[in-house]
Formats: sequence, structure tokens, C-alpha cells
Amino acid sequence: MIFSSYPYLVFLALVVIIFRLLEARLPSLKRAFLLLASLVFYAWWRADFLLLLLGSTIVNFFIGRAITSSVESKRSPRMLLIGGLIFNLGLIAWFKYAGLFAATTNGLFGTTLPIPHLFLPLAISFFTFEQISYLVDASQRRAPKYALLDYSLFVSFFPHLIAGPIIRHNDLIPQFAKDRGRDDRDNDLALGVTLFTIGLAKKTLIADNIAPFSDAVFAAAHQGTSIGLVDAWMGTLFFAFQIYFDFSGYTDMALGSAAMLGIRLPFNFNSPYKATSIIEFWRLWHISLSTFLRDYLYIPLGGNRHGAARRYLNIFITMLLGGLWHGASWTFMIWGGLHGAYLIINHAWRNLLKAAGLSTPSRLQPLTHALSVLLTFLAVIFAWTVFRADSFSAAHLMIAGLVGMGGHSRLLTFGWPAGAAFTALFTLIWFAPNSMEITWRLRPALQPPRKDAGVRDIGLWKWSPSPVSAIAFGLLFVVSVMALSNLSPFIYFQF
Amino acid sequence: MAARRYLFWFFGVAGAIVLAIVTFNIAADAYILNNRAGASVETVSGFERVLKPAWFDTIKPDIVFVGSSRVRMAFDPALIDPTFHMKSFNYGVSSATAYETRRYIQDAAAQPSVKTIVVSLDPFEDGEASQPIGAGFDELRLAVTKAGAPTPHRDWWLTTSRYLSGGALGMHALGVYLLARLGPNQSASERPDIFEAYSRMTTAIFRHEMDRRNDRAIAPRAWQMSELRASLAALCNYRGAVYWYFPPDNFAVIARYVSNDADGFIAFKKTVLAAVRDHNAKCMNKVRLFDFTNLNAITRERLTASHTQSTFYEDPIHVRPPTGMMLLRRMLTSAKADAHFGIELTRDPHADADIDAIRAQAAAWAKS
Repeated sequence: MIFSSYPYLVFLALVVIIFRLLEARLPSLKRAFLLLASLVFYAWWRADFLLLLLGSTIVNFFIGRAITSSVESKRSPRMLLIGGLIFNLGLIAWFKYAGLFAATTNGLFGTTLPIPHLFLPLAISFFTFEQISYLVDASQRRAPKYALLDYSLFVSFFPHLIAGPIIRHNDLIPQFAKDRGRDDRDNDLALGVTLFTIGLAKKTLIADNIAPFSDAVFAAAHQGTSIGLVDAWMGTLFFAFQIYFDFSGYTDMALGSAAMLGIRLPFNFNSPYKATSIIEFWRLWHISLSTFLRDYLYIPLGGNRHGAARRYLNIFITMLLGGLWHGASWTFMIWGGLHGAYLIINHAWRNLLKAAGLSTPSRLQPLTHALSVLLTFLAVIFAWTVFRADSFSAAHLMIAGLVGMGGHSRLLTFGWPAGAAFTALFTLIWFAPNSMEITWRLRPALQPPRKDAGVRDIGLWKWSPSPVSAIAFGLLFVVSVMALSNLSPFIYFQF
Repeated sequence: MAARRYLFWFFGVAGAIVLAIVTFNIAADAYILNNRAGASVETVSGFERVLKPAWFDTIKPDIVFVGSSRVRMAFDPALIDPTFHMKSFNYGVSSATAYETRRYIQDAAAQPSVKTIVVSLDPFEDGEASQPIGAGFDELRLAVTKAGAPTPHRDWWLTTSRYLSGGALGMHALGVYLLARLGPNQSASERPDIFEAYSRMTTAIFRHEMDRRNDRAIAPRAWQMSELRASLAALCNYRGAVYWYFPPDNFAVIARYVSNDADGFIAFKKTVLAAVRDHNAKCMNKVRLFDFTNLNAITRERLTASHTQSTFYEDPIHVRPPTGMMLLRRMLTSAKADAHFGIELTRDPHADADIDAIRAQAAAWAKS
């Protein structure tokens, strides 16, 4: 079920109504009901893959239990953990990467391995990662023994199931036991509908409306058209806006849906295009993924504990694998590699400045800040061309277009409508408050993992549950719903 | 307490507006579908991708026209139905893509009432790139998936699109506005100022459109040809009649295509012809393929000092509904009176030579 669809709106309304009734009358049933609702939500897409989700959940639950028991009885859980990792990574490798592996092997070595054309189970990247984190935590005494119902609900809880935010067991499961009074329920619902509306508007009013323009340019590149300078820049910029509003809109809807049920999900976006460096960008973009990669990949690889060279290598490997996590295509890996290279340059530059004792004079700080934001944005959108391109040749055509070495395609026109659209979009990403800042008064998400990625105080822009804001958001909701007619799934649903 | 008041206003405002919009859409939909000139709204550009699948499902026509704006403007059911004594539906959408055209063909073939499908071939060559779908297209509204299976929950999508989408609101509002401007007993054909399809090309329009098409050339592209073959495959077991045609752009435009890339233009037509021949040899269904792009009674029209308004065209590539009637008569009845324009390639023993003749025709046109 896509969040920006009529079935989901009906589904969500029914779930919230029934959940509130159960909370008030039969609280012992509310978790079982949420689990049932989550399974229905997943089965709406394809009922047969429900078995995969349930199978993965049950296997991981019992491996986790066995690990916890081993740790409690002071036995090494190593083999169990390795077994669990093999199970999870094997599952994702088979469904997601087997085709890529076979095709690449055939291409490189002239072999004739059969290329499996498997249907990618929805959300597999997300529920696999979440369960890996549970097993690792269990092996390090950081996970208690949970009831099967709680654990299953942690994995399948519908607001985060399909495309995150990636959440840890210990952040979510304790919230299931929370009892809410009527005022809390109303506050949560008011917050939830507001956040959901912001996300829906980002998706249907912005992302879906600019998608055709970026699609046109990237599709032409995919078909071998040599892309002109204007087309390349417009296509790339439109995609940069599309993916931000699409994914952060999805996240707002996920957080809003969960908030209506009294649950807080992780902070996932904090105006990433305002970042002044790539290091900061990854503290503001898809925060739950970057935190996961840091805690379960970068740090186990050695993090920054073995000198600068090893640290840079660890960063690079982490970003490469983070890129590949997005999909079974080498373009995703190159995208990750590009960001790895950016991060290494960024860290090295910082170290150099620190060693030289250089800092920006205070009167130049606004200028350097603006230039830093611009440079970071340019680096990010350059990498997006590789991310979005369907093939290396398409990426090459797009990059050639960006640097003025492409063709003379005239797919898009840079007239006043495009100028007005870009002005509005840049204003939104660089100057407008984000959804977290707007609704932070009622804590719409878990605390950001880093203090330096905290939430700005936006003064008067802060949302409060007044009738005027209710009317404004009610209108925004209706306008966003009216735009639902062109159903396009979220970009991150494919991962 | 503040939150409760907020929720009251939020849901109150949203609910009231949704109710108002749904009520308007229901009323407007009924008004358009029951209006004497209502079918002419199918020739209008708006959010037709949103509403036409729902209208198509309701009207249950005998004959359906699929294609781009060249189809949308050429076939007015209000004109066709009384003449041909059939119920027709214009499924043309502005800037239709090859993929959309294939999907609309599939939708038409899946509708049991449809006995005849007429398809304009320009979506299989038009457009420099690429976009698989246009704004507002949603295949969940079509009867079958692209693999040919019934679309799950289709009634749901049709209903929500029809009564609860911004596209439907826009198209309904436009339709009601246009019909309300017609005088008592007036038809769309009498008001070209309202229904653009009926307006006539002038010299200014001709020049403007020709300037826009300076560099246009036509050549078969792999992905579009693959959609064309998929369209034919979808029709293989279809029991009704199928007519495909190369639309009669004004020869000034055709000559430009030939001048820019004669080989590509000819290759496109021959590729289509080969695909159709292959289909006809293999399938129960037989497609009749017409070519109206040659120098003929329609395409050779020129505007002059004494002939300042076109008889056939709204602009150099869009023919008017009366011209659409001529095309239809030519295809459906093979009327001798209309045999002076268009070639039925599938019954033409010299089809390849006739396609090649376009070079000579373009040269003659340039000299005249």
C-alpha cells in the first residue's frame, strides 16, 4: 500500500479509529491488532511474500533468543550470530543481488551463469537490516528477550515497514507498552495528521509534479540521446528536488502515521540541502541509514581507531556498501563510492585546516557559509546523476551534458515557469523550516542521534494546534489528496 | 482541549471540502454525459487522462479512437454517432506516448462492447525523447494490466479518480463551462470559438506551427517499435475490427519530415507495415493499415490569399472533426467517393513502392 493512495488513507483511518477504541477499552489487544493491521498492509502488495516476511521474522526471533541465552549463560554467541548474518545476508543476496552477480560474472568472464529474474520482495532491505541490528545487539548484551508478538510488531510495524526510517528494536518495542490518556491521544493525532499532511503535500504537490521533467531527461539519456547543457542541469536539479521531497515526504507520512498511534520513529531528515559539507550532509540526509551504517559497519570495520589511512578506507568501504544497499546496480555503488571519496576529501581538508590552524574570519563567515552550502549541493547533485541514471552510459551522457560537452537536445525549456519553479524549490530547501522544526513542539520523532544535527528554533513558524492552522492544514490536506490521481510509488520503495 | 479543537477544525474543513468536491463532480459528470453536446468534450484538451478511462467504462462504446491530440481533435462522437449509427468514444489524449497508446489499446480491446478500434500511429514516432507516460496517466484505471491480467481494485481507482481527484475536478469544470456556453440547440461544430477542434487553421497559425517544426524528423526508435509490437500482440486474439493509420498531417509538414530525414520517415512506415503483416499472418485478428500521409485531397491543402481559412485543418497536424469523418468513412466503408485520399497499405500490392513514392511527392510539392 502506497502512503499517498486512497486505500492507505482509508486503511490508516480505520486502524487509528480501532486502535484508539482498543486503547480505551481493551488495551491488551492493541499490539495484536497493530500486528494484524501491519500484515494486512504488507499483504495488500503481495500476499505470498507475507510468508517471507513472517519466515524471516520468526527465524531471526529464535536466533536472537538463542544468542541472548548464550550470552546469559556466558557461552560465545559467535556461531549463532554468524549463522544469523548468513541467513539475513543470504536472503537479501539471493533476492536482490543474485541477478547482478550472475550478469556481472558473465560479462567479465564470459561465463553463462543463468540470470535469475526474481521479484524483489518489498521492504527486504529495511527489515533485513533492522533484524541484523537486533542480532548484533543481542550478541553484545544490548537486547533483552522480547515476546514474539512485540518482536514481530517491531519488524512489521506498518509505518516504517516499507521504506524506513530504519529503527532499532530498543527504540520501538518499549513504546508498544506505553499507555496514553485521552489528551495524549488527541495531541498525537493532531500532530500525526499535521505531519502526514506535510509529507503528503511534499509528495503529491511537489515530487510527483517535477518527476516527469527529470524522468524525461534521464529516459532520453538511457536511450542514448546526447543531452544538452540546459537539459542536463534542469533534469539533474529536478531529480535532486524530486528525491528529497519524495523521500522526506514519505518519512513525514511514516512519522505522522506512527504518531497517530502514539509511536515515535527515528529522525530521518533535517534539511540536508542546507548542509555546509558532505560530512554534515550525511548527518542530515537519511539519518537512520547513516547511523545504521556507522554503528554496524563503519565502527566494526575499525572506525577511526587505526589511523587516518585505515579510517579513510573504512569510510570508503562503508559508503560503497551503503550505495549498493540501495539497489542491485553498479551505478548505486559508484554513487556510494563518490560519496565515500567526498567524505575522505572533506575529512582530510578539515584535518589540514586544523593542522595549519586556519579558520575563517568572522566577517567572511556568511560568504563562506553560502559558498560551502553551494559547493556541497553541487557535489551532491553531481552524485545524484549517477544514482538516477539507468546505466553507466546514461550517467556518462548526463555528466557530459552537465559540463557542456553533450549534445543539443531540447527536451525541456528554461522559460519563466521553470525559473519560477526553481526559485520556489530553492527557497523551500534553503530557507524554509523543515517538518521537524515546524512540529518539534510535540516531539514528532525520536531525538536526533547527534547533538550537532539538532532542531533549530524557528520562532513564529512553529506549529501550534490552533483553529487557524487546522483550517490551513485541512485545506493543504484536501489539495494534496486531490493530486493523488497520478499514483507514482516512492523512489525508496524499490530499495 | 486545544488538540481536540484542532482536530475538529481540521477534519471539519477537510470533510466539508471533500464533500463539496465529490458532489460537484457527481453532478458535473452526469451533466456532461447526458448533455446533447456532451460527447464533444472528448475533443477538448484538459485532464483527459484522468477522466477518459472512467467515461470509456461508462459509455461502453462500439468503436473507440486511440491516439494523441491528432485523434482527440479529429473524432467527435457527437458528429460520428448519428451518421454511422453507432456509439463511439474518443480516447485521444494530448501528447500520447507509445506506451500509453499501447495501454489504451489494451483497455479498448478488454471492453466487451468495443467492436472496432481505430489507432493513429503518430504516438509511435512522435516526441524527441522518451517519457513513458504523460501527466495524469494512471494505468490502474485501465481494465487490464500491461501483462493483460485484470487490474486489481480497478473500480476503486476509477471511482476515486472520477470523483475525488484534482484532474477530474478540472476536467469536469472545463466541460461544464464549455457546454454551458453553447446556446440552445447549438452543437460544438457551430462554436469553434469554444471547441477548438472545430476552429480553422489560418496563415498565422500555419506559419507559427511550421516554425516550431523546423527540425522535426521521423524515424523508428527501438523502444517505440517495441511498444508497437506489444500493441499488436495485445490485439492478436481480439475479435473486433482494427484500423491503424498514419495521420494526414498537412503535406507542408510531411515534406519537412522528408527533407529532414526521408530514410527515417520511410523506414518508420515500412517497419510498421512489416509488423502489421507479421501480425496478420500469425493472428486471428487482422489489422487494416491506412496511410494518409501521401499527397492527397486532404494533405495538399494550401492557404492562399483567396483561401485564408483551412477546410480540413485546425493546424498543420491536427485535422478538424469533419475531416475525421472523411477518414472514418474511408477506413470503415472504403467509400469510392473518398478513395482519392489515403492508401490501404495492407491491401496494396505495391505498398512498398507507394511508401517510397513520398520522395517524389515531396519533390513535386517543393516545386509547386
